[in-house]
Amino acid sequence: MPLIRHGLADSLEAAEAEERLRQLRALLIGPEVEQIAALQRRLDDPRLRSEDLSASIAEAIAIRSRQDRKLQSALQPLIEEALRISVARDPAMLATSLFPIIGEAVRKAVAHALQGMFDSLNLVLDRGLSFESWRWRLEAWRTGRSFGEVALTHSLSYRVEQVFLIHRETGLLLGHLAFTTGILENADLVSGMLTAVQDFVRDSFGRMKTEDLEVMEVGEFKLWLQHGPLVLLAAVVSGQPPPELRQVFEREVEAIHRDFGPALQAFDGDSSAFEATHANLQRCLLGGQRARLRRSYKAVWTVALLLLLAVAALAAVRIRDNRRWTRYVDRLRSEPGIVVIGEQRHWLSYAVTGLRDPLAVDPRLLLAGSKLTERRVVERWEPYQSLDPKFEGMRKLDLEKAALERQVLHFDLNLAQLPMSQFNVLETVEDEITSLRQIADANGLQLRIEIFGHTDRTGKEDRNAQLSQARAGTISTALIQRGIPSSMLTVSGVSDRSPQHAAIETYPQELDRRVTFKVVLLQNPSSPGAPR
Amino acid sequence: MIQKKICMVGSFGVGKTSLVARYVKSIFSDKYFTTLGVKIDKKSLSVEGEEVNLMLWDLAGEDALTQIKPMQLRGASGYILVSDGCRVSTLDAAIDLQSRVEAELGSLPFTCVVNKVDLRDNWEVDDAALDRLRTLGWSFLLTSAKSGVGVEALFQSLAERMVREKKIDAR
Repeated sequence: MPLIRHGLADSLEAAEAEERLRQLRALLIGPEVEQIAALQRRLDDPRLRSEDLSASIAEAIAIRSRQDRKLQSALQPLIEEALRISVARDPAMLATSLFPIIGEAVRKAVAHALQGMFDSLNLVLDRGLSFESWRWRLEAWRTGRSFGEVALTHSLSYRVEQVFLIHRETGLLLGHLAFTTGILENADLVSGMLTAVQDFVRDSFGRMKTEDLEVMEVGEFKLWLQHGPLVLLAAVVSGQPPPELRQVFEREVEAIHRDFGPALQAFDGDSSAFEATHANLQRCLLGGQRARLRRSYKAVWTVALLLLLAVAALAAVRIRDNRRWTRYVDRLRSEPGIVVIGEQRHWLSYAVTGLRDPLAVDPRLLLAGSKLTERRVVERWEPYQSLDPKFEGMRKLDLEKAALERQVLHFDLNLAQLPMSQFNVLETVEDEITSLRQIADANGLQLRIEIFGHTDRTGKEDRNAQLSQARAGTISTALIQRGIPSSMLTVSGVSDRSPQHAAIETYPQELDRRVTFKVVLLQNPSSPGAPR
Repeated sequence: MIQKKICMVGSFGVGKTSLVARYVKSIFSDKYFTTLGVKIDKKSLSVEGEEVNLMLWDLAGEDALTQIKPMQLRGASGYILVSDGCRVSTLDAAIDLQSRVEAELGSLPFTCVVNKVDLRDNWEVDDAALDRLRTLGWSFLLTSAKSGVGVEALFQSLAERMVREKKIDAR
């Protein structure tokens, strides 16, 4: 019993103690327990957890992004996916957001493209017809490269003197290469100043704060700036760079961004990480020798000189010919029986018109003596009769000569004696010869008279020869007896070889039995005058 | 080789250009200020055995008409606030300027300079004003571009702090 009581008392005691302990516990750590329970609830409930996270997430991202770039990398696919979903769901929303900037972007792109187009058009027109450009085209076609590429390698009219690679944010120099050293020594200072100048230009003149300075010209140098988001490539170019060069710079700037993007973003002044960009810069140092800039005008001068010489030679020939022509025309004017009415000088020929007495000297003979080319001279002569005394005598001589040559002395059959009936004709012949002699003497000519004896067609040949010779001799002798000098006369017998009416079959035979005359006038060597 | 951009900022006429001129031999003439509002000089020095090129961006002094262009501050690793001991207003301006620069660049090493210590007798800036700088927790130097007092130390110490800070970052 006492045991039981004891046991009961024990258990009562224990319960009491337990209760007291509980109370004590509640007194001592009651609030903490509730807190733990609350914390438990908050940890178990995702909604509450999110609420908690939302309070600190912005700050957490900010802290993390300052530490390293892992968050950006982690978020990148998410953001891309989100954008994709957004566009798929409602393209209008993104379009509305982009609208304010897209106009500017398009304008800038279009302006850039147009500028490029104008530049190349300019160049195409410039090169258009030059021999060199066609050679390049041929080479491009032959080697399968683009024309631009070939042109770029051959364009010796420019040279990239220096290239600067500049970190855009700090204006610090990342790399520098020069074709020749010594033009600019303080490349890092220049790089900083260039950045400052750009800021200045943008602040002062740029309408948009995003517009970049692209070209500066300083004397014979051009400064071409190629902007990337992180770096600026500045090239000092001499001469006339082709637009293709711009593309080379663009390409290299893009390559530098691709290869050094993270390093550029983390740049803190240590440029040793960018030594590898030298290869990129080296590819920008294009162009040929400056010496080729000064174009040689030797060929032009040579051609000009040759042209000048040719013109001078032509002029000299022309002057000489003109002088010869003047002398020739003067000679024509002074010639009796020739009246020059007009003369003309054309580019390649000369022309003269006028009147000419048929007895006057032949102008062509004079022309031969003038050294002028005969086919370059056109002459037109109208015939006329000159009243010059010289031609009066000549004309009379012609008349007398014709009269004598018409005279015929007839003979009887087989006889060489002149019949009585012909004596008066002989007298006329003698008078005519005397008259001819006087005129010929006056004109400085020697008179020769050939006397021909003829027979009819009957009789033997040798007899006829003898007879014809005898008939001519009879007349010769008669004339000599009458005082005509024998030296003036020649005698020949022509038998029946020269009948009087050769064309007629039948006519009186006696007409062929005759003596005829031929007058020959010879130039007297002692007195000048026209040959007859 | 390490390059660092340092901006010299301060009111008009406090002697920023003179400090730089005392420190380096300039290749650009002072006329750049009137056109560009900035002049750049370079000084090579050695920090812990490493060569450091300081690119000193000497920005045109602020006055009623000109204000510092944020664009020119961009990319700086440190800056020097210059004030003139003879004009207490320039020190106030420097304190104001500091907050604007910090807003632009974030927290960077900088040194405040009270210049023209050679004219100490004529100073308006008294010990109370200097105490104010101390309470701000700034490192500051008293310099004279005329006598050269404190100039070398100014640039050397700032360069060392910038390099050191970079190394702490890297860790």
